[in-house]
Amino acid sequence: MARVLITDDAAFMRMQLKDIVTKLGHEVVGEAENGLIAIEQAKELQPDLITMDITMPEMNGVDATREIRKALPAAKIIMCSAMGQQSMVVDAIQAGANDFIVKPFNMDRIKESLSKVLS
Amino acid sequence: MPLTANVKSDYITTLLNGTIVSLKNIVPINHTIGKPQLSQKSLQIQFGVLIGITGDVKGKLVLSAEKPLFGAIGEAMFGMPLQDEMLVSFSGELGNMLAGGLSTIIVEKGITTDITAPTIMDGNTMLSGYERSLVLPVTFESIGELKLYLLLD
Repeated sequence: MARVLITDDAAFMRMQLKDIVTKLGHEVVGEAENGLIAIEQAKELQPDLITMDITMPEMNGVDATREIRKALPAAKIIMCSAMGQQSMVVDAIQAGANDFIVKPFNMDRIKESLSKVLS
Repeated sequence: MPLTANVKSDYITTLLNGTIVSLKNIVPINHTIGKPQLSQKSLQIQFGVLIGITGDVKGKLVLSAEKPLFGAIGEAMFGMPLQDEMLVSFSGELGNMLAGGLSTIIVEKGITTDITAPTIMDGNTMLSGYERSLVLPVTFESIGELKLYLLLD
């Protein structure tokens, strides 16, 4: 079971992700609505895994991933964005993301990604 | 360098086609798409979502419909009825997914764009200050109509 921090500016998406991640047997330890809050929460909560939206106010998910990677080198980060173009995926991976999910997602896609990055 | 009329017209066709494909990829409800119409008038919205588009093309994607239509789309996509705050949040996210999908599709045609986080318009809102707008009416089987606007700066 992993301890998970969920990052998305949309409350609806956080609810969906929380529901799916919980059903998959993991514990959601925190929720963040932008990149800045995600960095704070990640440092404080030390999660095993972070889901990260990209397009968010205050700070985007790629910049937040870069910062979190410095503080938590072992944490797994899964990007979860509506922007699926190759350049965005490359930016995210270079920033330190372990996997990339394009929205809209379903439970199977989240399950596959979690299994991959946590194995 | 300013865009020539031909290039602009190509961009518009690519944007329209990209919007139609993005909608089809994301919303699992049968729908028909009406004829796109060009307009320069200001836009009146009761409930909707606005996403900014930056990069090679600058403008906004606006989704406008009655709230229950957004709710029906949310239910079809996620299997749960949505109300109040969650309905509003889903509506923003639907706009984000459509614009993100559009951005992902048109990069294949050589148009690079980024999108902003969604802005929700709830209550009588007047939009103006763009060069022209294209409206794409989308009718969802037995649910109602969604209007997709591309506002080009």
